[in-house]
Amino acid sequence: MAEYKLLFEHAHDPQYQTLAGYQKTGGYEALKKALGGERQAVIDEIKASGLRGRGGAGFPTWIKWNGLPKEKKTSHYVLCNADEGEPGTFKDKQLMEQTPFLLVEGMTLAGFATQSEIGYIYIRGEFVDCARALRKAIDEAYANNLLGQNILGTGFNYDLHIHMGAGSYECGEESALMSSLMGERGMPRLKFPHAPLPTVSGLFERPTLINNVETYCCAPFIVKNGGAWYASIGAGTKNSRGTKVFSVSGHVNMPGNYEIEFGTTLNELLDLAGGMKGGKLKACVPGGSSVPMIDAEMVGRAVLGYEEMADVKSMVGSGGCMFLNEHTCIVTFIWRTALFYANESCGKCTPCREGTRWLLQIMERIRSGGGRAGDIELLKQVCSQIDGRSFCGLGDAAAWPVAAALRVFPQEFEYFIEHGHSIVDSKAMLAMAP
Amino acid sequence: MSELLQIGSPNERPYKPRPEDLTLRFSEKAIAELESLKTHYPNLRACILPALWLAQREYDGYLSGEALAEVAFRLNRSYAEIEGVATFYTMYNVAHKPGKHKIEICTCLTCHLCGAYRLRDHIKAKLGIGHGETTEDGMFTLEEVECLDACDRAPVLQVADEYIGPVDEAAFDKLIDTLRKTPESTVVKLADEIVKVQLMADENKAAAQLPNVTPSEVRADSTGAG
Repeated sequence: MAEYKLLFEHAHDPQYQTLAGYQKTGGYEALKKALGGERQAVIDEIKASGLRGRGGAGFPTWIKWNGLPKEKKTSHYVLCNADEGEPGTFKDKQLMEQTPFLLVEGMTLAGFATQSEIGYIYIRGEFVDCARALRKAIDEAYANNLLGQNILGTGFNYDLHIHMGAGSYECGEESALMSSLMGERGMPRLKFPHAPLPTVSGLFERPTLINNVETYCCAPFIVKNGGAWYASIGAGTKNSRGTKVFSVSGHVNMPGNYEIEFGTTLNELLDLAGGMKGGKLKACVPGGSSVPMIDAEMVGRAVLGYEEMADVKSMVGSGGCMFLNEHTCIVTFIWRTALFYANESCGKCTPCREGTRWLLQIMERIRSGGGRAGDIELLKQVCSQIDGRSFCGLGDAAAWPVAAALRVFPQEFEYFIEHGHSIVDSKAMLAMAP
Repeated sequence: MSELLQIGSPNERPYKPRPEDLTLRFSEKAIAELESLKTHYPNLRACILPALWLAQREYDGYLSGEALAEVAFRLNRSYAEIEGVATFYTMYNVAHKPGKHKIEICTCLTCHLCGAYRLRDHIKAKLGIGHGETTEDGMFTLEEVECLDACDRAPVLQVADEYIGPVDEAAFDKLIDTLRKTPESTVVKLADEIVKVQLMADENKAAAQLPNVTPSEVRADSTGAG
């Protein structure tokens, strides 16, 4: 199967970043169509499309859109999570840089459907290029009455603001992102069922819709062409509809973003990226650093879909596909993963704050040749004590890759602990080692 | 424990100026920009992050105690709150004055697969500094950072608002030569760019009459007691 370019169809045309160019390819038709009808009609189309959140969790989008109060009592907010920080994922970056109007129109549609008057795009601080592209798009939309007061004469008022983050992986978690936007340290809050959903009480304690960049970018196509049309894409899968952008990186010949239909196999994705570089395929982390890694045999039968990936005990996640060749030392790779999570843990809850450090300490010990006999059991124990016990998903995400690597490549860990050096012994590996 | 987890001494904190020592350094332009930014949010607390970016620009790329105190003063928040927020985020240079150019090298997963550690060792040898350190002439600061989300360009560097990658040793040496000839500080430039992208071309076009939500109304458990 080849690429299915929906979001990226015109991405390489610089004109697409201007309002005139965007409108020439059917841009803002969706908004005009939506503004002429009922708010609920937009949500119904999203429901019919079967769109699921593209940020990682795959939650049905329409439930969020439908969850905000229909009878408006206070302000409603629309929030875009553009704090992309998952190692291996860089899809939102390209979407914002090359298709800024898709996001602006998608968020305007969301604002209309949820009776919101204000939208915020929370962009990670490093992404200045993305913010510049969006700033240009937003300013142009304001100048042409597509944002601001009385949009297109329909009486709908909607503002869109850019809010820049300042460097924190944790802020990609939705409740931490809201804390951060409210001017606090970016720490997560209690979640449902212990606290109300963001659609009831989110940003500034008001009903809030929060979605990933890619999710909003899909909305204009769904509203314009109908939910049923969108649902026909990827219909071969159990419950994944539409297209998904996968960021392919690591030891491949042509790293980059590839948009494919759900139901494409992981092998086909690898072929799109030009195949392996520097050696045979050893392992793959298919959905960003948080998801469990799989070995070459599992890559051979993995089908990209939310439910389908569970068959190989992994997930679609945020779509950051890292391919590792045969010269990669899994122990070193997992050490680096553990370091990442220890570094980014916000420190709010004990299982994550202490657990990520523990994982790192043990991995550091093994990697430096001082591994002990019981270390594998200890790692498993620490993982099981973080998983499901942390305040937010960061703790789980720190435990999964370690647990999965121990499951899929136990011999690498055993060998390293016993011999004090890696089972992989080649020049290519030494070039990677820190 | 990996050195990446530590930057400076853990006890090092910005020096809080006494009230009588407080000098306000925001330029008129910065004050006007802050006023515009305030209109984007229903309360002043939400303006802390943008205001810190402004301060980082106004105070030469470095959030000293004075800078934090000025932000606290201008947003009518406490100094402790501002310090607490600023120290959480890695892109604010709190308590450590960076060099004129901050070179951030990503050593996270994909970059490490593609040789980022080798490049880091080259940079360390070339500049004679380690993670979080600044060269003696005050020109360069080196920081190892987590995923910059440009894995297709691994190994990648960030200098100011620019991503540079994939980088090899020769390309890095060239970059250093270019930076040496760059007169203005790229650390300040980054803060300036970040302030600029948050400002609308025409702030008068905004539609919303934002309800004034006071922070206490927003969240009683704002200390994170959750």
